[in-house]
Amino acid sequence: MRAYAAAFSMRLKMELQYRAAALGGILCQIFFGLVLIALYRALYASRPQTLPIGSVVTYVWINQAFFRMLLSWDTDLLDKLRTGAIAYDLCRPVSLYGYYYARIAAMKLVGSLLRAVPMLLFAILLPEGWRVGPPVSAGALAAAFAGLGLGLACVTAMECVTMGITMRTIDHRGVMALLNLLMVTFSGNLLPLTLFPDSWQRVITLLPYAQLLDAPIRLYTGERPLSAAPGILGLQALWTLALAALGLWIWRHNLRRITIQGG
Amino acid sequence: MRTLKLYLHSMGMLLRAHTQYRASFALQTLAQLVMEGGEMMAVLLVVNRFERLGHWSGGNLLFFFGVMSLTFYLTEFLGRGVTGAFPSMVRSGQLDTLLVRPRGLMTQVLCAEIDPRRIGCLAVGLTALILGSRASGIRWTLPKALALLEAVGLGTLLTLGLFLIECVLCVYTVRSIEMVNALTYGGRSACQYPVDIYPRPLRILFTAVAPYALVLHVPAAWILDKPLWNWPAWTAFVTPLAGPLVFLVMRGAFGVAMRHYRSTGS
Repeated sequence: MRAYAAAFSMRLKMELQYRAAALGGILCQIFFGLVLIALYRALYASRPQTLPIGSVVTYVWINQAFFRMLLSWDTDLLDKLRTGAIAYDLCRPVSLYGYYYARIAAMKLVGSLLRAVPMLLFAILLPEGWRVGPPVSAGALAAAFAGLGLGLACVTAMECVTMGITMRTIDHRGVMALLNLLMVTFSGNLLPLTLFPDSWQRVITLLPYAQLLDAPIRLYTGERPLSAAPGILGLQALWTLALAALGLWIWRHNLRRITIQGG
Repeated sequence: MRTLKLYLHSMGMLLRAHTQYRASFALQTLAQLVMEGGEMMAVLLVVNRFERLGHWSGGNLLFFFGVMSLTFYLTEFLGRGVTGAFPSMVRSGQLDTLLVRPRGLMTQVLCAEIDPRRIGCLAVGLTALILGSRASGIRWTLPKALALLEAVGLGTLLTLGLFLIECVLCVYTVRSIEMVNALTYGGRSACQYPVDIYPRPLRILFTAVAPYALVLHVPAAWILDKPLWNWPAWTAFVTPLAGPLVFLVMRGAFGVAMRHYRSTGS
């Protein structure tokens, strides 16, 4: 366990080195957030919905702020697979899956926190109708934090499954593009899941993609009451375990028939 | 004329190179189609829930989306040298090899790369354009068709000009600047929707700085018989000239920047 914790904190420190690069990303992400909110406000002005606009605005800010949790991948691992440097990692006396799970989790945690904290601080200062709203209750905030933690565990497990699939093909861009589309669509990044047709929502909120950010956001805005929290957190944990088990199985299977690239 | 011939020749060469690995090329084109299809689905879902946006109907919104999508991805297809390859040319020092050849730098950068996978995106854009035109009940006439062609054609020059900002900055900073994405990719996402729905600062940004409103929205709105800001018909043919204007200004700035170019190589 200590080895995995070390891999986690090592990656954490490495990610923290790129603070200046994060600044440009934050400003860009804030701009995208403002444009999206302007669009939804205009849509609401022409046709109000039962779902309050404040809830949509909060949804957009949190989703934009944690964008890096959804879409960021361990490019080192991809390079290692292509060049064959993965052979060194195979020599380490730890489970390859566990080692990379810890690394990817650290990368996603720092990558998103580094951007989310300043972005949300900015979004709180905006005028009414544009700013990120407060949580409905202290309990909802706590539940949302727990959900965010589980969401991180879940997205990392999902990333490991994706990596397991890409390990089998040298040219992974086609598969990656398809998986990315599923990610941006069903995680609520393209359009808040709360604005999808109601009949779709019953199904897509059960998908693993909705467990990453949609579930905690709904707890935060009170879209789902606190009494539903145990069920939501349970579903998140269930998907995390299922995806981790699947990922572990694929990685084990891959390792048994691995071919190292390069000489 | 010889420059054009050179460009077309390079295009053919690059096209053949790209299609050497057929399975990979087909898969990546499909991936582009799926990705842009997702964007179009977002518009359809918005229309499904809200039905209209101000005085724009769902069909109108699809039409605007199609115009933007065609313009943007035509630029990415034909002008990949500027929209994608240039920063890495500066970083790797590959740009130096272009400087010693007896042709204009811009020509060579444009000849260096194309991205034919973007036909996936263009297919989606064209579908949206046709569906949107049907749903809006546009009665096509020759002037309207010409206005559309002019808007898309000059829109690619505008997009190229905006990407040139990144190239200019890149000459000075070597690293590419993520902030410029707000104008290019941000412009694309924001101006998929007609500009008059946005609050004033965004309207000014996309009219005066990155004038997608003038180049695409004024003619598109006129084609839909709902002139933007009630401007007269002739404006639909004149305001798109802002596109080449931005391109020429940035082309000039690029020339100035290149005079300060210091190679990264040793």
